Amino acid sequence: MTLTRPCLLKLVLPVLVFAAVVAVLALVNRSPSIAPDRDASAADPATLPGDTDSRISTLQRAVRTAPGRAQGYALLGETYLQKARESGDPSYYTRADRAYGAALRRDAGNLSALVGAGTLANTRHDFRRGLRLGLEARRSAPDLARPYTVIADAQIELGRYSAAERTIQRMLDLRPTLASYARASYYRELTGDLAGASQAMRLAVSAGAGSPENLAYVGALLGDLELARGRVDAAAGAYRQALSAGGGDYPPALAGLAKGDIARGRLAPAARRLRAASDLLPLTSSLTLLAEVELAAGRRAAGRRDLEVLRAQQRLQRSAGTVPDAELVVFEATHGDPRRAVALGRRVYRAAPSVRSADALGWALTRAGRGPDGLVWARRALRLGSRDPLFHFHAGMAARAAGEAGVARRELALALSLNPGFSPWLARQARKALR
Amino acid sequence: MRRTLLLGAALLLATLVLGASSASAHPLGNFSINHLTAVAVSDDRVDVHYMLDQAEIPTVGERTLSRREVLRRKREEVAERLHLRVDGRPVALALRRGRLAYRPGAAGLKTTRVEVDLTAPVRNPRRVELHDATFPGRVGWRAIVSRPGSGTAVRTDAPSGDPSDGLRRYPQDLLQSPLDRREADFRVRPGDGTLTAPKAEGQRISTTHASGDGLTAAFEDAASGEGVLVLLLLAALGWGALHALSPGHGKAMVAAYLVGTRGTARHALALGATVTVTHTIGVFALGIVTLALSQYVLPEDLYPWLTLASGLMVLGIGAGALRARLRRARHDHHHHHHPEDLSWGGLVAMGTAAGLIPCPSALVVLLAAISQHEVALGLLLITAFSLGLAGTLTALGLAVVRARRLLPRRGPWARVAAVLPAVSAGLIVAVGCLLTARAVPGVM
Repeated sequence: MTLTRPCLLKLVLPVLVFAAVVAVLALVNRSPSIAPDRDASAADPATLPGDTDSRISTLQRAVRTAPGRAQGYALLGETYLQKARESGDPSYYTRADRAYGAALRRDAGNLSALVGAGTLANTRHDFRRGLRLGLEARRSAPDLARPYTVIADAQIELGRYSAAERTIQRMLDLRPTLASYARASYYRELTGDLAGASQAMRLAVSAGAGSPENLAYVGALLGDLELARGRVDAAAGAYRQALSAGGGDYPPALAGLAKGDIARGRLAPAARRLRAASDLLPLTSSLTLLAEVELAAGRRAAGRRDLEVLRAQQRLQRSAGTVPDAELVVFEATHGDPRRAVALGRRVYRAAPSVRSADALGWALTRAGRGPDGLVWARRALRLGSRDPLFHFHAGMAARAAGEAGVARRELALALSLNPGFSPWLARQARKALR
Repeated sequence: MRRTLLLGAALLLATLVLGASSASAHPLGNFSINHLTAVAVSDDRVDVHYMLDQAEIPTVGERTLSRREVLRRKREEVAERLHLRVDGRPVALALRRGRLAYRPGAAGLKTTRVEVDLTAPVRNPRRVELHDATFPGRVGWRAIVSRPGSGTAVRTDAPSGDPSDGLRRYPQDLLQSPLDRREADFRVRPGDGTLTAPKAEGQRISTTHASGDGLTAAFEDAASGEGVLVLLLLAALGWGALHALSPGHGKAMVAAYLVGTRGTARHALALGATVTVTHTIGVFALGIVTLALSQYVLPEDLYPWLTLASGLMVLGIGAGALRARLRRARHDHHHHHHPEDLSWGGLVAMGTAAGLIPCPSALVVLLAAISQHEVALGLLLITAFSLGLAGTLTALGLAVVRARRLLPRRGPWARVAAVLPAVSAGLIVAVGCLLTARAVPGVM
């Protein structure tokens, strides 16, 4: 058998096919044309479907599609801020900050970005910047409620209480929402009207919110108010509601339940709950309370370990350049170096001249051995009529150091009677001082 | 009672806020617990590499514990909360080695780094699921990445890439959320270490091979404009030639066919050319299918079918040859020098069977070329690769043809030479059966 001689066409055919395939594939495979995505950037993030995570990915897509639009960045920032509140993951604050920056670079007057950047400034204790951004937002949209929340928060922390009262009233008139009721409640609490405060907070809870986290947050605040009024059972109910709204492990609600335990004198379960809460989110408040519960229960080693964590946190904040707050001053005065607490307290008061800052500075002065000065500042802290047991404890100890035994006795007794969930360690000191 | 208002954004949280924005602190916050689980599914075991990066605050919380105790706790957490399911049933992961190291963090504090190896013996799994429930509720970067195993073709939703470089740096892209993956699903078939997974979270699926080989490297270099194209083409050719030496490229088949049919050097060359053309066309065809139907069909799904087709083809060729030999053995007992019974049809069929199954590395290059919009370049390299592949087969064929001529015409070797055609036909049938049998479970 002989091989047939292959004809030319048979040899050329594969080459032709090859060339054709290359051409087709190269044509099909050209750079992708970006299909215009669903334009989500015009909507309010709260009205977008799905939970925070799916809203985030929708808005990320929208921003990628239309990178020139300020509103997309502003809404993305708002959603990042919400995610930060839900998860406690601080990297989302950074992302929110950058998103707002990007929005304002594209449109310096963008309302959502101004409000969001203002909220973020307040969160970072830069209340003057928060107030400025809030006022700027209000100028561009005087009939919207949102800028007022930023303004009210900044005014309260800057100690401008009568201005804050007007702002909050205007907010309530414009739109009675969870946000406005919650601020009304806080104002009433500062002025000592605890019944009115918890009534407003209940309204805030029933007003509802777009996200379960907001509801959990005001629920925990309502629990705090009930506890401050001595209603331990009502407080526990509010905390439990907040816990389930927050997905079963909402740290502020866990810490709240621990305060309920403290009110009932059960320190062991309180410590367990506070440890769980601060493992999830190491807030200075719950870590301090945990350390003080351990110290009060006689577990000095565990207490010292918790204080060690708090000190590490402080070092991290200092090295990161975080603006300190009153809480840090109180911690430094109670468990650290009182002299440094005084310097820190003065800085905090200059930046945020509120009753809270006054209380912290007064306590730092008292601990540093300057009782009379401490008492002056403690009186300033109580000028609105606060019923915060911590304020009264600080005032009592200052009065004692200043030699005003009568005032000391009255204030310390008040501190002990006010809130059964008050730190057991401080309560013991108050009782000792009363003897 | 201490609290501040700022709805939702508790002021207290601010204590953690700036920590994230400053360069000195942990990018995911100084209380984050970040973990990454790398999974490789092989035909006989599942290997899991668990990595943990614990930021400053939780590290301080464990300051009073010994290294051993910290490692013990982390291993316990992993053993308790890392769940593996194989074919729907939970399978225990055995802890192997564990390492702990402290690394300098922000403000003179330390961070904790733990790595734990785990493994579970399995037998030819079809579906593997991983659920990472470690450190529930804690803030952090959570990722699962897939790695190629051995003896398997794996398709998974867990990405093959790790943007964090083993939890050493965390991308801060504004339009990208930190990873939060706790579940991964692996569909497993017998294979040779291929992995089909998205390159990164949310990206398109692409295929990688266990041994990142020279062809892929040559393509990456060419695509990024590094290296001289001619040299890279030569490299691809060389890789093809080398690759043909690895098992399963029809060398035995080709040799047996040429021996059995008393082929000449011309036949060997023609066979090589057919393999080149078929292999190149096979890769292209698969590429077209992948491009057009990427949403419905993955190349891996076509492999078993191609193997089946190739196996059946070889089986047919072998059976035909065997029948011809047997018939001739019965009738033409006395003729030793009958003309060669080699036909072009049989030769092309043989070459097609040998070249029909695209080499995974060629396919990887094609898919990479598609995703990088460098199709022409990819095809050029694949053609060079196919040429190299065919070169080896042709050389082998020529050697076989030469060797046959060297067999003496008389003596005991003549008897061997006489039965050789029948033996080779039987061999082809056997190879065909093997190929078909291997393809069947993948198709079913």
